Amino acid sequence: MWLWFAKLGSPKWFYELSSKWLPWLVGAMAILLSVGVIWGLLFLPPDYQQGYSSRILIVHVAVAGTSLAFFPLMAVAGTITLVWRMKLADMVAKNAAPLGAWFSFITLATGSIWGSVSWGTWWEWTDSRLVSMLFQFFLLLGVISLRSALEDSDKAAKACALLSIVGCINVVIIKYSVEWWNTLHQPSSPVSLSPDSPNGPEFWIATGIMILAVYLFLAVSLILATRNEILVRERQAQWVQDLVRQE
Amino acid sequence: MLDVIQFSSFSEFLHMGGYAFNVWSVYGLFAVFIMANLFLPLRKKQQILKEQKRRLLFSEAADDAQAPAGDK
Repeated sequence: MWLWFAKLGSPKWFYELSSKWLPWLVGAMAILLSVGVIWGLLFLPPDYQQGYSSRILIVHVAVAGTSLAFFPLMAVAGTITLVWRMKLADMVAKNAAPLGAWFSFITLATGSIWGSVSWGTWWEWTDSRLVSMLFQFFLLLGVISLRSALEDSDKAAKACALLSIVGCINVVIIKYSVEWWNTLHQPSSPVSLSPDSPNGPEFWIATGIMILAVYLFLAVSLILATRNEILVRERQAQWVQDLVRQE
Repeated sequence: MLDVIQFSSFSEFLHMGGYAFNVWSVYGLFAVFIMANLFLPLRKKQQILKEQKRRLLFSEAADDAQAPAGDK
């Protein structure tokens, strides 16, 4: 177990393992994304109230749900950095922050575009779900600027780890905001695959495929960015220099 | 479930039942989001490798120049 853990922390080991996994992850991601998008745009029946604007939701729900994974992910990576000083964990945490900011931004933008027709407004400052998601976006920008502001990379890693752990509180607030303060944003609909559920089973299956696709995309993008980080931080290592020569 | 394509013509497909702007801008944004976060890291990797190779060759050339003649 400990040997496995130590190995996992080795950038070289991660680089080699991810080289083997990437083609499979990319393949699965491409298939699921294509199925999700084609289904969403061509086959999904119109909602009886929202018409075809409900097609926005399978994208919005998938990106929004996945965006909540970033702070917990960065908090776990940060804890590993703080406790075991594993180099790889900090590389993952560092690259997760900008990607998480992208996710939060796309969540806000797609939600806004949907809200403009279904709620008749692009933005509502009194809605807790909207504001807490905006807060997550700014928190992630905060993590990014904290890292670039601190010159000592060891200190920066520790400060970002702490902020990521604290930031998890906001994830809980986002998640339960719709139940605690019910203003504009609706709570999640109960998932049901039965043919007489209000949304219909095809809506849930399409959403499920999109969620899987977006999670795979998160993994692929984060792995690609982490591999770049490894090449930069480990540039003095023999194996990286060998790899560079082969290019 | 997949028995029906919801549109009978291409223009109807583009029209999205009156929600063309909203639906297409969301799917467009989604496409940009996915593409950007896959291709930017790939492009960066090429830049990193190029830069490091240049540096590596430069330092090797410097080492060679420092070594006394006939030492190799």
